[in-house]
Amino acid sequence: MSSYRVPRYFPTTVVGSYPKMPSAEDALRRRRKGEISEDEFREKIRDAIREVVADYLDAGIDIISDGEQSREDMVVYFAERLRGYAPGEWVRIFDNVYFRKPVIVGEVEWVEPMAVEDWEMAKEFSRGHPVKVILTGPYTMLEWSFDLHYRDRREAIVALAKAIRREVEEYIAKGADYVQIDEPALSTRPWREEAELAGEALEYIFRGLSAKRIVHICFGRIERILPYILDYPVDQFDLEFKNSNFRLLPYLKEYGFNKELGYGVVDVHSLQIETVEEIKEAIDKLMKLDIIGPEKVYVDPDCGLKRLPREVAREKLRNMVKAAKLARKEWGEE
Amino acid sequence: MVPELTVIWASPLGGYPRGRHVRYVMRDLDSASIEKHRAFIEIDRAQTLVIGAQLASGMKYVVDGMLDWHDIFRPFVESWRNVYLDGIIRYFDNNFFYRIPVFRGEPEPQRLVTPARVLAYRVLAEPAGLKVVIPGPLTMVKLGRNESELEDEELVMRVASALAMDVAGSARNGAALIQVDEPYLSDPDASKEDARLAVEALEVIRKSIGDARLSLAVYFDAPSPSVYEELLEAKADYLSLDLADAPGRALGLLEGKGCGGHSLVVGVINARHIYDDDYHTVKSMVEIVLKACPEITELGLTTTTWLDLIPLRFALRKTALLGAYAERLAAELGLEAEIPLTAVPKPYRV
Repeated sequence: MSSYRVPRYFPTTVVGSYPKMPSAEDALRRRRKGEISEDEFREKIRDAIREVVADYLDAGIDIISDGEQSREDMVVYFAERLRGYAPGEWVRIFDNVYFRKPVIVGEVEWVEPMAVEDWEMAKEFSRGHPVKVILTGPYTMLEWSFDLHYRDRREAIVALAKAIRREVEEYIAKGADYVQIDEPALSTRPWREEAELAGEALEYIFRGLSAKRIVHICFGRIERILPYILDYPVDQFDLEFKNSNFRLLPYLKEYGFNKELGYGVVDVHSLQIETVEEIKEAIDKLMKLDIIGPEKVYVDPDCGLKRLPREVAREKLRNMVKAAKLARKEWGEE
Repeated sequence: MVPELTVIWASPLGGYPRGRHVRYVMRDLDSASIEKHRAFIEIDRAQTLVIGAQLASGMKYVVDGMLDWHDIFRPFVESWRNVYLDGIIRYFDNNFFYRIPVFRGEPEPQRLVTPARVLAYRVLAEPAGLKVVIPGPLTMVKLGRNESELEDEELVMRVASALAMDVAGSARNGAALIQVDEPYLSDPDASKEDARLAVEALEVIRKSIGDARLSLAVYFDAPSPSVYEELLEAKADYLSLDLADAPGRALGLLEGKGCGGHSLVVGVINARHIYDDDYHTVKSMVEIVLKACPEITELGLTTTTWLDLIPLRFALRKTALLGAYAERLAAELGLEAEIPLTAVPKPYRV
């Protein structure tokens, strides 16, 4: 358990990724070229995580992450560590930027801890703040891979869910308080059957878990899948709001949302730094709708901050924390 | 009812992925470490090979691969005044991102994108026809950002007018088919009004096609029934639908509403997966189409989307499957397969 006391109202958190620190960039580049050993790589990543955590703590974030410094990509990172995956060939992400889209070629199985070491490093530097476990979800893993083995989406997703569950157990054994599963692909296919498929996988991952169970979904038709996901076995939905100009808010009201909400109030695609007032207004906007109480609102960015320059990311977080503090004060928590 | 269908043919829906060499050339081009003309020679060589692969696979219409396009909107945005590029955003449900076109006024073409390509590749494409693919005006506006003073509806028509200039030049230079891509029409948010607007915009384009044929392509999913009803009003030679992404919904549309007298092009080869598509699944989809639309006399087979979402090796494999399946279907269903490469060459027309 973490020793830091998380505020009761409007705790602040992050979705996961943070801009790559120079030592992480260097480590990833040199590892790709085979220039450094795994030990040297880990040492450099450790430096990067130390810097990320320092930024978070400096900004005043309550529940932090490891900043995903050793992950070049949210799917490839795990695919490289699971049995049953093979490195794929080059597929474009945008412009002339490509990645090796992984291919499922056999039974997917967990082999050994995949990201636990990074999380432990972050904990070491966290001064008692809880460190959220952040893992890519099975639905997104499948959607953003090629599958030459299962050819049946449900079967593949269940296999991935089992592997991810096994990874989660590693964290739980080490005392993790918050486990977040990222499913950004879900909002791009807003159909009931898709939501049910992802829900079945989450059920498997989260069954009987003592930690806080969170699912992060962003950038898509969240309002369309909302009615189908409210029964997910999670404590918290972490959702993007700012980028879509808070259009999701009325739907929360309409569908009787009553779980905890990771409330995305910072746009991770914009270099413009939201002011404290702007973020506070966003919090007020939610609270005025009287959907959930302040103890259920976790203030955070829309998504991972990795695409922003470090200075911008840090400034956005600072303002977010200041706004949350103002809201807390207004609601009687000093 | 015995189908009157006589002809079946194949053609990939759109662009191809870059191979390693082209990726490197594009990278060098972006960093100004290669002369432009040298880069274009390399890209031209790769596009020629892609055309050759399509011909060898028996395609009726071939594309030039669009290997130098970063996304479907980019070459047009970069050639038009009053339209700019912004950040990247996800392209439908793909793990692929495009740069957002930002309209700050009426788009004014400063140069044309496709006519010169037609000149360059028309002869290489023979005996197949060269297909030109352009973004649909509705999709471009819906996926873009309108910062102009024009209403969205007006902007769609202005975009159609701008695209029509490209179409006119391409048709003049010998394009055999103009395909207008409106994937937005398969989006759950697309409305009947959107479809009506897309059809009106298509009409602007149609007036410029000369002797070329016109296809309206909707993909990534099946359109909703109300959207589909409007699409049946489109004055296009072909209506191109994605069957394999959501076969239940797509085939249900055809069974329920027919095809409105259009010749159909159906996406039966999944261009977002790398496994070999099952022939019998393809055949059963085609049989349902034939039963649902007994009046059609021409059926095109295509890929569910552009082939640039999978690696080049698999894109070429899918192209080969497309051709092979068209030929096999023709043999098994008693139809004529239209395979230009194996047809007796007609006397050359000067």
